[in-house]
Amino acid sequence: MSTTGAGTNAIARDAIGPLLTASHDGLAEGGARSIRVLSRGFGLGAGTSAPGLFVERIAPGFVARRSARLRDGVVLVSGTNGKTTTAAMIASILSAQGLDVVTNASGANLFRGIAGALAVAPRSASAGVFEVDEGALERVVRATRPRMLVLTNVFRDQLDRFGEPEMVAKALTGAAQVLPPGAVILANADDPLLWPSVEHLSPSGFGVRGHRGRTQSIDGEPELCARCGSSLEYLERTFAHLGQARCSRCSWRSTTPGLTVEIRDCSGLERLGITTGGCEILLRIGGVHNAYNTAASLAAASALGIPPTLAIQPLQTFRPPFGRTERLEFEGTRFLLVLMKNPAGAGAVIDQILGERDIATVVVMVSDQWSDGRDVSWIWDADFESLARSGLPVVTGGRRAADAAVRLKYAGSVPRAVLPNVVGALRRACRIAPIGGTVAILATYSAMLDVRAAIFASRVGRMAPVTG
Amino acid sequence: MYPDVLRTYGDRGNVLTLLRRAEWRGFRVALDEATIGESVPAGARLILLGGGTDRAQRTMGPDLAKRRHELAAAAESGAVVIGICGGYQLLGERFVAADGEAIDGLGLLDAKTVTRPRRITGPVRAVAQLWGRALELVGFENHGGRTSLGPRADPLGVVPKGQGNNGRDGTEGALQGNVVGTYLHGPVLPLNPMFADTLLERALGPLTGWEPLSPLDDSLERRAHEAARRMKR
Repeated sequence: MSTTGAGTNAIARDAIGPLLTASHDGLAEGGARSIRVLSRGFGLGAGTSAPGLFVERIAPGFVARRSARLRDGVVLVSGTNGKTTTAAMIASILSAQGLDVVTNASGANLFRGIAGALAVAPRSASAGVFEVDEGALERVVRATRPRMLVLTNVFRDQLDRFGEPEMVAKALTGAAQVLPPGAVILANADDPLLWPSVEHLSPSGFGVRGHRGRTQSIDGEPELCARCGSSLEYLERTFAHLGQARCSRCSWRSTTPGLTVEIRDCSGLERLGITTGGCEILLRIGGVHNAYNTAASLAAASALGIPPTLAIQPLQTFRPPFGRTERLEFEGTRFLLVLMKNPAGAGAVIDQILGERDIATVVVMVSDQWSDGRDVSWIWDADFESLARSGLPVVTGGRRAADAAVRLKYAGSVPRAVLPNVVGALRRACRIAPIGGTVAILATYSAMLDVRAAIFASRVGRMAPVTG
Repeated sequence: MYPDVLRTYGDRGNVLTLLRRAEWRGFRVALDEATIGESVPAGARLILLGGGTDRAQRTMGPDLAKRRHELAAAAESGAVVIGICGGYQLLGERFVAADGEAIDGLGLLDAKTVTRPRRITGPVRAVAQLWGRALELVGFENHGGRTSLGPRADPLGVVPKGQGNNGRDGTEGALQGNVVGTYLHGPVLPLNPMFADTLLERALGPLTGWEPLSPLDDSLERRAHEAARRMKR
């Protein structure tokens, strides 16, 4: 090798390069941890993206380097609904097997959210499980080079961002196509919009059996065959557009999935009786959508070498992560806080809430921040009619409380009050509910954060511990 | 029409609004749904075509040719036809999809639409004139199509806030005889009860002797209208 200036520079660069990178990474990690501590101290919430933003600026390429150091690899979860719960389930399964798992906080599912999670991961971390926003997925796949990608479903959600469900499917497919060789793809075989778009990449499938949802889906996508555009016929429709289907014209039909979860009992908000791999289990989360999340995580575990009989154990004590469903207390009244994001999700949780005996009043909180989707017209595709038919008194809240009120009015139930102010809506619901009755709050993402903030900040309110 | 195909975008809310507002005035309303291969129901007084995905709209292309005459005849005989977003595009003469494939529309509006990659999205406020009534419309637009109107169609309104039909000429929607088109979502009719009532009055005119509809308590709708109006782009 020559010892001219250029050669010396090259040697120097090769020697110093990694040192600089390492120190940048160290700086990134240290800085990110400090930012996280500060953010928490100021009560900015778990979803802050400040650490990740810092990391991106200080140490480009950090995510790739840090991911490569995770001995047991990275699992990514994406799709419209169920990302957070599925990722949390997979993380709990892997933790129960003794792996040191790093995950991203709920809602921090853009590139910088994953960067932030990796930046504050302990040295001992050996595996990463991250939920990833559909729009950010390709970039995250390229950086983290995961061993597995789990795709939950495609629904109409945040149309102002994605435009159409087909575009979401395209984003997921695009990301799946740049996975490293040997990576495994798991996809929902009951999703006639998702499955055909990744079929050519030989995914493994998961699905749910044993539950017939409403036969006429008012809140699903138009059920058209992905191959020829003709309408689909369902042999068993679990909910919205998910189920076993075949095309009325061409030869397309749903694949039989490698792993299925069979629903025995789906009646409660926080109970789900299922059968899988020969075991009968009772889970402490409710709803058909959670049966799908369970199926996805068991399929992921199985592909990682953990059989369902082992994987199911930690799921028996699994509680939904931050905010999906949460029991709270405020000024002497018990609340059940439930997240709703889109028509199918809202329909599913309304269904469950109506199955609970102690619900006395319902607060419907709709906001229109970027995290909620700025266009709230999706509430017209959600089945609020069954809520109206139940006769339960309703209060609407959130920044678009009036839109929610109009929706309820046309569904057949004029709300008792329309109160954009969060505390006002909670207080009115408390007054309406009879003693001992629980108030259910159906909230969009930012409204849910507002509720938590209001209760947390209130001197009178306190969080009830999560009990049996 | 095409409810199982063109219902991606909250148009159920528009149908529900028209239905209930007519019922609350004492009308008995029948809701018919006509999909691919089915004729326009006879005697329909108000026909709504909603929004849909590009793929869904293309699926309907062949059927549109069969419906042209039926819908034109219905409009001639006094039915109101309203198209929203995708439905609006298909009421025009021609619709060009993102990949350049062109389909002939229903030809009830002198309008042509070309799809561009950049989507026009955001809150909208339009000032409209509809059959002699001045309306302020609020809503949300979300479309890749750029629609331009020919001489036989009037715009529904102008957009002091928003991009409207094509982001260039300041117009929103279209109006030609009894046929109306708009890009507004919200859904547009629950957020704009006067717009809904104007459509109903026109459609029900022959039955009511052109009496105005009795007023309803729209205080909730007005609050929602205000909240939508305040949205910033």
